[in-house]
Amino acid sequence: MPPAEILIEGLTQSCIYMTMAFGMVLVFSILGILNWTHGQLFMLGAFIVFYSTTAAGIPFPIGILLAGLVMAGIGILIKKFIIDRIKGELYIGVATLALIFALEGAASLLFTSDDRGLAIILPGVLNLGVVAISYQKMAVIIFTLIVMTAMYFVLNHTKVGLAIRAVAQQPVAASLYGISTERLSLIVMGIGCALAAMAGAIMAPLYPINPFIGRTPMIMALLAIVIGGLGSLTGAIVGGLILGFLHSVIAYYISYLSEVVLFGLIILILLVRPQGLFGASAK
Amino acid sequence: MKKSFFSATILMITVMVIGMFSMCGTAVAEEPIIINVAIISPLSGPAGPWGQVGLDVYEAWLELFNKEGFRVNGKLYNFKNINYDSLNTPEGGAACAKRAIFEDKVKFIVGHWDTSFLAVSAISNPAKVILIARNGNEAVGGGAYNPEKMPYVVFGTPSHEKFLSDIKAIVAAYPNYKRIGISDSTLGKGVGWDYVDRDLTAAGIRFHHEWYPFGTQDYSPYITRFKEAGCDVIYGAGDVLAAMMITKQRWDMGLKYIKTGTAGGLLDPKMYIDVSGYDASQGFIAQHANPLDYKKTKVNPKFIKMFREVQDMVSKKQGKPFNYTAWTDWGCAHMQILAQAMMKAGSVDDPDKIMNAIRGGTFDTMAGKYTMSGAKTYGSPIVFGNPGCISIIKGNKEVYLSENPWKPIP
Repeated sequence: MPPAEILIEGLTQSCIYMTMAFGMVLVFSILGILNWTHGQLFMLGAFIVFYSTTAAGIPFPIGILLAGLVMAGIGILIKKFIIDRIKGELYIGVATLALIFALEGAASLLFTSDDRGLAIILPGVLNLGVVAISYQKMAVIIFTLIVMTAMYFVLNHTKVGLAIRAVAQQPVAASLYGISTERLSLIVMGIGCALAAMAGAIMAPLYPINPFIGRTPMIMALLAIVIGGLGSLTGAIVGGLILGFLHSVIAYYISYLSEVVLFGLIILILLVRPQGLFGASAK
Repeated sequence: MKKSFFSATILMITVMVIGMFSMCGTAVAEEPIIINVAIISPLSGPAGPWGQVGLDVYEAWLELFNKEGFRVNGKLYNFKNINYDSLNTPEGGAACAKRAIFEDKVKFIVGHWDTSFLAVSAISNPAKVILIARNGNEAVGGGAYNPEKMPYVVFGTPSHEKFLSDIKAIVAAYPNYKRIGISDSTLGKGVGWDYVDRDLTAAGIRFHHEWYPFGTQDYSPYITRFKEAGCDVIYGAGDVLAAMMITKQRWDMGLKYIKTGTAGGLLDPKMYIDVSGYDASQGFIAQHANPLDYKKTKVNPKFIKMFREVQDMVSKKQGKPFNYTAWTDWGCAHMQILAQAMMKAGSVDDPDKIMNAIRGGTFDTMAGKYTMSGAKTYGSPIVFGNPGCISIIKGNKEVYLSENPWKPIP
């Protein structure tokens, strides 16, 4: 059994991957595309909460919501002015890939490449004797629980949620019932981008903030989706959990070779279950 | 007779004074010949801040250096720097080297420190362009550096030896240490570490290595491994982001007794405090290259004055106190080596003559006065010196901690 610190850190990482992966899957299930700029929206979310807290003096929780709102708006603009105007999944994918570098470049110009930090938010450690956990990590875990509960409620107990599920499962039938897939896809894009930005915002006190912090979480979220099953929201959560824990635990046992083993395991999962743990079989 | 003698004397003095003044006038008006030097470093991307921090310094330092310039065969010369963005990649570095050498006709590259050493030297050596760099992992003795294939390479900043020196300075500061943890990303894994390990073992220093994949965010597995190996110091070999995160995460894990640090200069203590937290970053160890603080290393008073002026000029330009000092070890010292070698060689354009002056030569620089050494280890005496001086963060400031002066390497 690995030490408790490793499990706590694994859970913290899982929370980030889960939130990111959930947003990506949501967008994929309605739009049918993977938004490769998810990591950069994560990065911009961190910058928004950094400046809203340090420059504008806005309380941190409100800064997180602000990051979500602003990036939801940006996400809708990306959908309207880029994704909708390009035909073909491959070309849309390429466009969102190009956006990675465009957004990182713009952020470098605007904020410079210097590292910033928000360690002043929720400083302190709760020492339980056998294990210590920082308040910042506790905040990440609680935030993820709240977001996931809210998403569960929205998807299962609201009209919008019902419409999202309907379009995800039967888009043609859903439109025949009067659901505007266009409007719905904008809402979903907004929610997905907001989740990425809020994940970046809640992470801001834990890690350095610079224009390049979105790359690793984006790759890990993508892997979580693949493990969980492309298109499955439950899969995104389980995939994120597995990945976060595996990453920390394997690194503890075998140090820097962890990535070889971790990514080898992912290939193994795909060989055994190409559709992922919760994805529908292609057959 | 007396009157005419007096008039003649007055006339002679007047002619001499006018002559002297006109000579002075000629000296003041003498136009220096400009020698371009390329500085290839990351100016954008994640490593961008470490390249950017040098730009204002080079400008200010060259302004002072060029006031006097240097003379070779009676002619006055000045340096002019041309900056290139290597993006911290081999391809980026190679592209910069090609542009500098073949388009801008640059004959000298100084201040090189990033990951593109091999790519740049593969272009600079055949073109007989002198490259003054640091001896990164790829270039340490027994590594990829080959004195026969790379005759125009000079290691003006010995990074591995400096790292060793840092560790010895840490041991001097904390003689009751249990074990020193050395952390580095897998990118830095290579023969350089065999070299470091050999020397640390010979010096009787207790240490433990951990490597982490580049881009790691969760360092708790590695911190736990350091803890289980009995380390009470974790000193990072260059990856500043990792050092800041290790500092924060070890604090969050309740391992407050573990001291942390990085083998690099502190850009600004505020950055470490912002990222790692105020309490966690107290005592953070870093390289310190401030000649005003050296207690064991002697630096020419002329260069100490220059150092003060550069810090003031950059502070004025940036509108805030400029406290970064690591620049004294890099490009400016490299340009001083180059200028002095040119004077000794009596040539500014014969790379072989200049290299002959550099090999085994003694040079007086911002980092101190050293003789090029390393003939046995590197196959050529082309490794310059550097004091191993460390500082810690105390409050919001960087303060001197300890020093291990440079000893020539075999």
